[in-house]
Amino acid sequence: MLGAIILKEWLKIRWVWGAALLVHLGMLVYLLLAMRHQFQVEHSEMIWYWAFELRRLLYTQIQYLPALTGAVIAAAQFGPEMLGGRFRLSLHLPVRGDLLVWSWVGFGALMGGLLALLDGAGLYWIISTWFPHEAAESALLTALPWLLGGWVAYFGTTLALLEPSRARRAVYAGLTLAFLALLDQGHGYQEYDRIMPQLTGLALLLLPAVILPAHRYRHRS
Amino acid sequence: MTARLARWSLLLLTILLLAIWIPQAKELLFDDRFDKTQLFFSPVIERFVYKELIGEGHQFVYRDQDGTDYDRESFETLIPFIYYKNMELWGRLPLVLGEHRFDKAAIVAERQVMEFKPQDLSDQAPRIQLFPLLESNPGRARLRFPEDIMRAGEQLDFIDSDANRFDPELTRTFTQALEQAGFRFPVRAAFGRVSILKAFDAGYFLLDSRGSLFHLRRLDGAPEVAAVPIPEGIAVRDIKVTENKRHELIGFLLAEDGRLFLMTERDHDLIALDLPGYDPDRMELKILFNPLYRIAVYSDRETIHAVVMDRDYHPIDRYARRMAMARERPVDRVWEMLVPFDLNLHDPDSRYLSLDARFHGLAAAIGVAASLLLALEILRLRGIRPTRARMDLLLVLFAGLYGLLALILIPPERGDET
Repeated sequence: MLGAIILKEWLKIRWVWGAALLVHLGMLVYLLLAMRHQFQVEHSEMIWYWAFELRRLLYTQIQYLPALTGAVIAAAQFGPEMLGGRFRLSLHLPVRGDLLVWSWVGFGALMGGLLALLDGAGLYWIISTWFPHEAAESALLTALPWLLGGWVAYFGTTLALLEPSRARRAVYAGLTLAFLALLDQGHGYQEYDRIMPQLTGLALLLLPAVILPAHRYRHRS
Repeated sequence: MTARLARWSLLLLTILLLAIWIPQAKELLFDDRFDKTQLFFSPVIERFVYKELIGEGHQFVYRDQDGTDYDRESFETLIPFIYYKNMELWGRLPLVLGEHRFDKAAIVAERQVMEFKPQDLSDQAPRIQLFPLLESNPGRARLRFPEDIMRAGEQLDFIDSDANRFDPELTRTFTQALEQAGFRFPVRAAFGRVSILKAFDAGYFLLDSRGSLFHLRRLDGAPEVAAVPIPEGIAVRDIKVTENKRHELIGFLLAEDGRLFLMTERDHDLIALDLPGYDPDRMELKILFNPLYRIAVYSDRETIHAVVMDRDYHPIDRYARRMAMARERPVDRVWEMLVPFDLNLHDPDSRYLSLDARFHGLAAAIGVAASLLLALEILRLRGIRPTRARMDLLLVLFAGLYGLLALILIPPERGDET
């Protein structure tokens, strides 16, 4: 049954995920070229000074990519489900409703996670090509809230899409935006270092939360 | 069961987000531009004087410690070493104070400001531990950044910035020079001022694995290392290097026990500063130098202190006052009654973001009680008996207005017990 569920989810998101993969690869290539260009037109020691001392972030091109991707994957997975009552049919599979929803979002989160992993690995490689490894590690730590933004956007969009009530949908959208804004407060590198565990804990609350709209959909609409 | 867990996860998330964002919205709506009081010591009347904004717009007062008010120009003439350019413009130079006479050149030669802020502390700001070791004898008018960077770790690594490649020769030369001077690796901390816009380059102070301090410079491409004798009983917490063309002091040294010292440039002697109530983690410190005095001014967001010292840093007089900016505003009082706590994201003393909770104590009882009454009314309107929503009410009891808003946004389902 699990294999069938995963296959169905894959069929729903494969085109969107493939396009997202291309966009992520394209953005990493753009970051690579932008960095290379930077080092061609400016003295290397000055760029290092900007990066280390002036705390200028040279890789913000990928900042909003995870959040955007999370929202798009969720829309591809659950947007069509909400049309014409298809979601009701899905909830009638011979599997416990909550486990079913978790298997869907688990698959979506995993696919988003793969892209986040690609972003992290690409960022580390690009930065370590022109900077010492300390800078690459710092870039990765700086990008962690951006990557967490992907998780938040994915689950936030899922909550809003599965919710049958329009007013509640707006509440979930507002909460998601409030959380995403929380992850966009930094100005320099590693400013989130001391609160990433708390923010991750907060983001994990979205995992059980996603059951509520499905429960409301099943029992009320 | 999972639906209940889901709702409670959402309630918790909602409350925490509200506790972060609503206080920020309040600040956005009601924040005022009251800044810190500017406190000085007047060499003319030998009293502390200050400039303070006490109301909306430009309601500044110019006052001395005895409460005498001055107009702006009179105030500036009380601190002529600060406003020496105005003094010149108003034909008040040379300045005569008792037996002393100061022309513009004499004032300029003695003027200096040294600052030490909480954000200058190494543990209050993230820092990639790579430092450019400038050539201290550049043989030209301006300093410039080297094409390599120093990594102070198990040895003193140098990495070429053009090729992003480890430089074994430079690493060996500098590491050996430090070892020969008695330095024990690994480097515990490196302190320096990374800038080319400074009077000269003083290099770095390096703390070795035993806590001993060394001074490192790059002179004509070669290492120059000197052990810095630290008196018994002083463990270095931080050093702020501030090169200045007066060449008297090289910076601040903060000890682990909170004592603050000035370090002389030539011999690295430490001058203890007697600053009662000074807390380096919360207070901004300025030391103002003029031809007659050294004045230390330090403040958190409530109280400003000043100690005036003679040229040998012996305290002469002290003054402290609660700043106008610390006055409690009615909106703050109402706020503390309205919500039981805030979650602060931005710590003004640190570059790190935080999630510090500030509890409002008993003052919030009014807001919590009102929130509980409103919660009961909401439950009544939704046809839910309070006994079936005990946990929701408990949540409002702990989270006050935030709990009430969460309850409104994510209400319990009719028929479900919370």
